[in-house]
Amino acid sequence: MQGVLDKSILLSVQELTVNFRAEAIVARALEGVSYEVRQGETVCLVGESGCGKTVSALAILGLIPQPPGEIPGGRILFMGQNILELSEEELQNLRGNHIAMVFQEPMTSLNPVFTVGEQIGEAITAHQKVEGDELRERCIRLLKDVGIPSPAERLKDYPHQLSGGQRQRVMIAMALACSPQLVIADEPTTALDVTIQKQILDLFKTLKSKKGMSLLYITHDLNVVANIADRVYVMYAGIITEQGKKRDIFQNPCHPYTRGLIASLPARSKRGEALHSIPGTVPDPAYKPRGCPFHPRCTYAVKKCSEEFPEMLDCGDGHLSRCPVVLSSERKTNTIRTHEGPHYSDL
Amino acid sequence: MNTDKKEFAAFPEEEALVPSRSRAQEFFRLLNKNRLAFAGLAIFILFFLTAVAGLVLTSGTKPVLDPALVRLPEKLRPPLSRPNLQVLRPEQIPRLGIYLLGTDDLGRDVFARMLQGAWVSLTVGFVAVGISVVVGIFMGGIAGYFGQEQIRADRILVLILLFLGIGLAFLAHPSLGILLFALGICLWILCGRAKLRLEGSPWARFLFAETISVDTLIMRLVDIMLCFPSFFLILTVVALLPASIYNIMIVIGLTSWMGTTRFVRAEFLSLREQDFVTAAKALGVSKWRIIFRHMIPNAMAPVLVSATIGIATAILTEAGLSFLGFGVPPPHATWGNILSDGKRFIFDAPWLTFEPGLAILIVVLSFNLFGEGLRDILNPKLRERY
Repeated sequence: MQGVLDKSILLSVQELTVNFRAEAIVARALEGVSYEVRQGETVCLVGESGCGKTVSALAILGLIPQPPGEIPGGRILFMGQNILELSEEELQNLRGNHIAMVFQEPMTSLNPVFTVGEQIGEAITAHQKVEGDELRERCIRLLKDVGIPSPAERLKDYPHQLSGGQRQRVMIAMALACSPQLVIADEPTTALDVTIQKQILDLFKTLKSKKGMSLLYITHDLNVVANIADRVYVMYAGIITEQGKKRDIFQNPCHPYTRGLIASLPARSKRGEALHSIPGTVPDPAYKPRGCPFHPRCTYAVKKCSEEFPEMLDCGDGHLSRCPVVLSSERKTNTIRTHEGPHYSDL
Repeated sequence: MNTDKKEFAAFPEEEALVPSRSRAQEFFRLLNKNRLAFAGLAIFILFFLTAVAGLVLTSGTKPVLDPALVRLPEKLRPPLSRPNLQVLRPEQIPRLGIYLLGTDDLGRDVFARMLQGAWVSLTVGFVAVGISVVVGIFMGGIAGYFGQEQIRADRILVLILLFLGIGLAFLAHPSLGILLFALGICLWILCGRAKLRLEGSPWARFLFAETISVDTLIMRLVDIMLCFPSFFLILTVVALLPASIYNIMIVIGLTSWMGTTRFVRAEFLSLREQDFVTAAKALGVSKWRIIFRHMIPNAMAPVLVSATIGIATAILTEAGLSFLGFGVPPPHATWGNILSDGKRFIFDAPWLTFEPGLAILIVVLSFNLFGEGLRDILNPKLRERY
């Protein structure tokens, strides 16, 4: 694809397909997902639980357990190198060193029997030969970078002695230990309360500008997306439904699913009203509907939706959407910038 | 408002976060609550010191307390009796000036023999349990972590050849055994080389077929080992091997690892799915380091408990073996063979059976109590709320 030669593209996931097999049932977790992360960019993957966000992140690190998982198709190019073809040793060198990950649950992602210092130290020594006082200094600097007060004392603490926000900061420090080019953050603020959430997001922003790394931020929270993203990919049931710059996605959503998500956000203008919700739930990845996977829940659905799998269509300026219905109907009436549509009447 | 702020400033933020007790302090606080476990630990420490003292006092060419010194005129003296100085030569007089625990049918000082036996019991307990814990953690760790991997038929063939080779080399035919062993290694290397070339041929399909998973292999081995009544298995092996204290330790160790394996496997199965294991993988930590640095310390609590109780069992087993005459060969004294020697005189000299019996009882009981206490302390769910 056209991005391969582009030097500014750090990570390019191309037509990635991931299945999970349980005896005769095949759960199609990802079906041809493509996205890219450029140098120094923050990219958000948004979607409901179970739409394949985390699976795609784990695939980048080569952490999909095989079996039951299998990757029948696609490429993951990281700095021009296909990650799916790397050996286990090469992957080990990649993980933590070039690509690091921050997990959702700071409560369980730290090993309870080791001190914070030991765990950050391990993140460094896994890839670099650093010892003694120098290692300690680096750990302290990392903790300082992520904004933990009196870092030297915290090194001796066990994870249970830290609060949730502090633990997530430690996880971020571990991810930053080898100054990776790409940090994947898998819902890092979901388990935290809102004030801490804000702090962690600000921390990500400062660290990103300070260290010049790229950030792939996975979340289901559109408020977070609005806060942090440069570009957004909206996922649904293992496919990308819409992609584009943050402004395009929020001001001119071209896919009914994105519109539904945005309409579900509480806002001051909607005070006193019942919050909007998209009817139904995400389909079982083993039994997805034919055609557009969103059509059973879609208020725009026409007969064609249940028959044809929709293609990615251009809405201009890198803004792509997988809904021909919205695009064609709104182009005719020239109302692309509006939020009109059957279920937007309550806005 | 102003004063409030000042008061807050007096408490630095960090101090409020750090709990006041360290891990060790917390451990002893909980142990102190459980009186029986505490007593168990105390007796264990006492026993440990006694055994070490016993080793120092009864070994060497001129021991302070000689457990093998025969004084025929002084046989079957009851505890706390004074030696008859008229019939003894000066070097035969016990160093304590008294037969603290009496003498046996050959006039040997039972106190010295008990001390010597304490060291035997201690080492047998610890070494045997050490072996069983190491084997158990290793097998359980592999079964738990690599459980889903399939073993190819050629690997099983190689394994059979290697084990057969080792067995034969040590037991009956050294040359044949070494031949089989070498054959196994050759086959291993050959199969590794030939795998790619033979791809697709019917031979390869048979030779490289995936047979059973690692988990099945190890856990069925555990089941088989558990099927044997272990005491009789030990008796058989001890009857085949030359009698020595080291053989006994090894045999007890190699027949008691199954429980640990099951514990560790179960712990690993749940630990493997934990976030911190995935997080460690995502940091590029190698899988052996994950197993040994990250998972085993988290799986240690039940192992520690079963090891403590295992020591008691090993001591009992050794005493039982010695009692039956399969244990540590005389003249070396162990609690088991003091008991065994004493049983012929149980009506004339009951102390010969009661002293080692009581010693075994107390030590085993203390280990069991301590083990149970440890389980309560290490498992917060079983901990009573105080």
